[in-house]
This record gives sequence, structure tokens and C-alpha cells, in this order.
Amino acid sequence: MTVIPRSLPRLPRLLIGPAVLLLYLFPSVFPAPPCVAASPPAPLKIGVLAPLSGPYAAGGTSFVQAATLAVEQANAEGGVFGQRVTIVVGDTQGRVDVAKAEALRLVSREKVSALVGAYLSEETVGVMEVAAAHRTVLLVPVAATAEITDLVRREYARYRYVFRVGYSLPQWAEMVAAFLSNRKVRRYAFVGAGIRWNLELGETLERIVAPLGIAPVYSAYYSPGNPAFETVAVAAAAASPDIVILADPGRNSVSFLKRLRESAPALPALSIGGALGDARLASSVPLSAPVYVQAAAWRGVSPAATAYVERYEQRYGAPPVGYSDTLPYDAVTVLVAAWRKAGSAESAAVVSALERGAFSGVAGTYRFDAAHQANWGAGPGALHGTFVLWERGGARIVFPPP
Amino acid sequence: MGPSYSGNAAAPGSSSPLPDPVASPLPQVLLDGLFAGGTYALMAAGMALILGVVKVINLSHGAFFTLGAYVAYALAERGVESPIAAAPIAAVIAFAFGVFFGKSFVNPVRRHPFALPVGTLAIALLFEQAAQMVWGPHPLSIEAGAPWIGPGGLVIRRWGVIAFLSSAALLGGLKWVLSARPGLPLHLIAEDEEIAGSLGMDVEAIRYLTFGGACAMAAAAGALLSPSGAVTPTMGRAPLLLSLVVVIVAGMDSVAAIFLLSIGLGIFGNACAWLLSPQWSYVALLAAVCLLLSARPAGIVVLAGRRD
Repeated sequence: MTVIPRSLPRLPRLLIGPAVLLLYLFPSVFPAPPCVAASPPAPLKIGVLAPLSGPYAAGGTSFVQAATLAVEQANAEGGVFGQRVTIVVGDTQGRVDVAKAEALRLVSREKVSALVGAYLSEETVGVMEVAAAHRTVLLVPVAATAEITDLVRREYARYRYVFRVGYSLPQWAEMVAAFLSNRKVRRYAFVGAGIRWNLELGETLERIVAPLGIAPVYSAYYSPGNPAFETVAVAAAAASPDIVILADPGRNSVSFLKRLRESAPALPALSIGGALGDARLASSVPLSAPVYVQAAAWRGVSPAATAYVERYEQRYGAPPVGYSDTLPYDAVTVLVAAWRKAGSAESAAVVSALERGAFSGVAGTYRFDAAHQANWGAGPGALHGTFVLWERGGARIVFPPP
Repeated sequence: MGPSYSGNAAAPGSSSPLPDPVASPLPQVLLDGLFAGGTYALMAAGMALILGVVKVINLSHGAFFTLGAYVAYALAERGVESPIAAAPIAAVIAFAFGVFFGKSFVNPVRRHPFALPVGTLAIALLFEQAAQMVWGPHPLSIEAGAPWIGPGGLVIRRWGVIAFLSSAALLGGLKWVLSARPGLPLHLIAEDEEIAGSLGMDVEAIRYLTFGGACAMAAAAGALLSPSGAVTPTMGRAPLLLSLVVVIVAGMDSVAAIFLLSIGLGIFGNACAWLLSPQWSYVALLAAVCLLLSARPAGIVVLAGRRD
């Protein structure tokens, strides 16, 4: 190791000014140490799989925060069978191989009683194999590809441990179609990142809205590396749609919406990817035309939803976005309720309880069909989700009417 | 601050309360390409300085861009919503870190060709993780302000004008410095370090100060462009790659070539997105770069036979 003693004593002086500036600008640089609660022996463990690093870290962090909140709520209610519930987190990094390895670690080494996750559809399909091989219950909160429940339907004996709490792509499209119809939309533009669920959702939506007399007039899927936002915004506006549907779960949704507002300030937009449910982001976007956000639940939808939002905001300093946080919260809540209903954390008993029971969550009452898909949709008795409209002082629920 | 929405705006499908300014898409696409090129040039200015004088590939350049954007965000949170005001503050902070980094790490290891890219990449990743811990992984955003409407309904994006003018000013200033008397040491070090040293110049100091200056330029770029998109820990990656591409393809000898190539690639990328598909824009852009490099590995300036 080379030491340069002559140069070192001068450096701190050089950095004093910027350091003081940094401390003023970013006081959170020295956060308070996390509280570590003492736990009784042999708690019931839930393995939570989410990307905490890599390009999907924002959604993954919300995912874990919400799961933590749900476990705290379960423990505040006395735990399960007198035992505390804890979570053990596996960072999937947004990669299938890492997700599978982490699932294996959680099941075989951490001895978790059930898994919740993963985040991406591709990751989740990989984790399903681990859950099936180890006969461990897996609750899927956000991955939307139809392949997950198709596998359960086709090979029930192998994948019967897998239940999807979140909405599938056809259900998602059905909810969006109901909203478009309610708003009297006839022509829409569909824009998003060129990733699997976006492409599938765009195709499914087009098929589902066709009988309603609604049609896309422009579709574009940009590369996440170099999105060419301006061109897409200009082309979308030039197609004269009634609304632009923005299906991007990440930071690009904000950048695109800014470009769209510059190109077409009067064109309404609907975000179905989650990121624009963040009030901090929405407050930076011009509201010269409506900005709608689709979410699983929102403050004011029900007393349970309001209580959840308030707890989340109190705990993490910002309200949830209503998707990548709310659905994991409900997944853990449903799992805990199923354990209590089954009287056991043993997989076969929990599967039976999940198949037969009804479970209250923030978004409503969950029931699972034969393919272990939760009952989302636009029909009666279904979990409807919600659509909100951003206004200057906050968001207002516009559909379904509160 | 954008105009507020009262909650009673026209429903989709009805007549709009505000006119949409997009009149003719193709001129708009080309104008936006010009602005996109300005953003490439803004980052490439500092990168060219480091490559030309310090002669290292600095993969942490994007991290300083990100730092500038976070400084702008932090100031906006405290009521200072002008990125132009944030730029000098970001530049001062980045300059100090750049000098520290240049003196303690870059100078000692710069003679090891493989160690430096790996080291600067590690610094960039370290910064991303630190940014995630301090500010969280969630995207943050600053108001962009309303654009100006030009002739024929052309939308003139504020951040685009800022990027274009700033990059022109920075690269113009750099060209002047390199060709005038104050820039003689930089020019001499870029040409031959040994001769510069034998003339009594403190080559080491000039190198780390240059490194700091380039980092300051990246941070100023980050602050100026922060309202155009979302502020995230990894936002510096894309500008880093494109600026590196621009500097290598243009060749480090000509500041004017860097500016013109940046603008050309911006227009080309947008035209491809318009004529082909948005997903083809990046592919076409990188394919064009590969073609240029295969035709002239030393850079296009050598091809044209021009020198600044």
C-alpha cells in the first residue's frame, strides 16, 4: 500500500465547506440507528423476496416496508398461535437466478414457513419451482403474468402451494377497461417500457376494450436504456387520443409524463404502473389536464385502507403508492389469517384454508378461484381496485365511486 | 410551477380547455433531437477534459452528474427551485470531491490501465449505494416549468434550451482555454507530460485540479438537467455511456467535433425513433457509432484532418 503523508493533512480542510453544505442539504446522511425488537424464541418466519438493489429497488423497498408493517400489525394483534411472526428478506436483485437462490436459502436454511414474492413475473415463475419442490406456500402479490395461475390450473398437484393475491393481466385490463368506459374514452394511446408485462398488458387491453367500442390509436414501447421520450410524447399527442395510458412501473413514468405535459398540456393521462401514485412525484407534474392513477386501494376506499395508509405514512414518512406496497401488505395479512384459520402453519392445512376461506385485506375481501387467483375484476363481488385523480391538494377517488 | 387543475377540467373526449401546441410532428422531433444532443454534449465536455488532460476513462463521471441532481433537489425542497442557482453549488461540492478523489486515487493508480476503470466504476457503484441509503431508492422529481411555444406551435422545452446553451458555452469556454495562454499548461500536459514537468509545471496538481473541474462540470450538468426527468441513484448511467461514446467517436482533439457529433447523434436518435420505432432509436444510434469507429478508430476529427 502506498502512503502519501505529505498530501493527506491538507485534504480535510478542502472538504470542510462542501461537507457543511452537504450536512445542511442532506441531514438524513446520518440516520438514526434502527430499532431492534427482542423476539421470543421460535417465531413463525415469512420469507419475503423482493429486489432491494438493481433497477427495481424502489418497488422492492416499498414491498419490504409494507410486509414489515403487516407483520407488526399481526404481532400487535397477538401473533399467531401465541408466537411472534417475523420476516426474513431475500434480495432478488430483479434477476431470476438470484430470486431462485434466495428462495432456496429462505426455505432450506432460514426454515421459513411460507414465502411472499417475488416482484417481476420472470422471477416469480422461477420461485414457483422452489416453492413446489419444497411444498412451501407462496403468495404472489404483484407479478401479473397469466403464466403463474395457468401453471396452477394445468399442474395443480405440483403448484397447489402458489396463490396470487395481486391481479392477473386479464383482470388488470378488465379494471382499466371499466374505467375507460366510465370516462367515455373512445381512443387511447398506450405507452410504456418495452418489458414483458407491458407488452402483454397492451395486447390484452386492446382485446378486452374492443367490444366496448374503444380502440388504441397509438402504441409505443420505449427502450428503458434510451427511452426517446420526446418522440413518443409528440407522436402520442399527434394521434389525438382521448387519454394516454402510461404503463411504466419505474422512474421513466415521471420523465415521460413531464414530456407529455410539455407536448400536450391538455391531454389526460392514466398511470397504471404505480410510480405516479407517489404524492411527492405527482406534485412535481403539471396538472393542466387530469392525471389519473390506478391503485389496488387508496385512502378513503374503506376504513381498513385509511388505517393502513395512515400507519404507513406514520412509519415511513410518505404515503404508499397503492400498488407495490399495498398488495404485499395484503399478501402477508392474508397469509397470517390463513395460518390462524388453519390452526397450523403446515402447508397442506394452509392451502386448504386459502382455498376455502375469505380473507379481509386493505383492498377488500380476498377469495381464490380454482387456479388460486384472487377475485379482482370489474364484476360484482370482485376486488375492484381504485382510480384516483391528482389535484393540487392531493388525490381524489373517481372510480369506482366511493 | 405548472398551472393547477381545479378538479373540474374537461373529461376525456370532450373539448380541451388548453390548446395542444403540437402542430407539425417532424420539425418538433428534430428540434427535440437538437436538445437531446445538447444533453450529450453537456456531459461530454467534462469527459473530454479528463480524457484529454488526465488521460483516464472516468467511469464515476455519471455519479457526479447524479450528485448535482440531488443537490438541485435538496435545494428545491428548501425553496430554491432554480437549477441555475443549484448548478454552482453542486459544482463546488463536486469540485472538492473530484480533487480529493483525483489526488488520493486517480493520480497514484493512473499508470495501471486496468486498475483505474475498475476503481472509478467501484466509486460510481459506491456512490449509487450511498445515494440509495441517504435519499432512498424511490425516484424524486423537481418541477420542470412550462415550455415556451415557438413559431408554428413548436414546443421549446426549457431544459433543452438550457442544455443546448450550457453545452455550447462550456465547450466554447473549454476551446478558448485550451487555445489561449491560460490553457497552455493543460495543452502541454495533454501533448507531453514529461516536457511539461521539465518546464517546472506541477503536473500532478494540474491533473487533479483538472479532474475536479471536470467533476464540477458533470455536477453542474446534473443540476441543470434535474427538472427534465426523475432523480434517482442510477440516473447518471445513461449520460455516462453516451458522453463516453461521443468523446471517443469525436476524438479528444476537437471540442467543436464533440459538440457537433453530440447534436448529430441527438437528431439521428430522435429521427430513428420517429421513423422506425422508439425501441430502435438506441440500437440505431449505437450501430451508427460502431460504424463510425470501425471506419475511423482514432475518431472522426482525424478523418477530417482538423485540429483545434
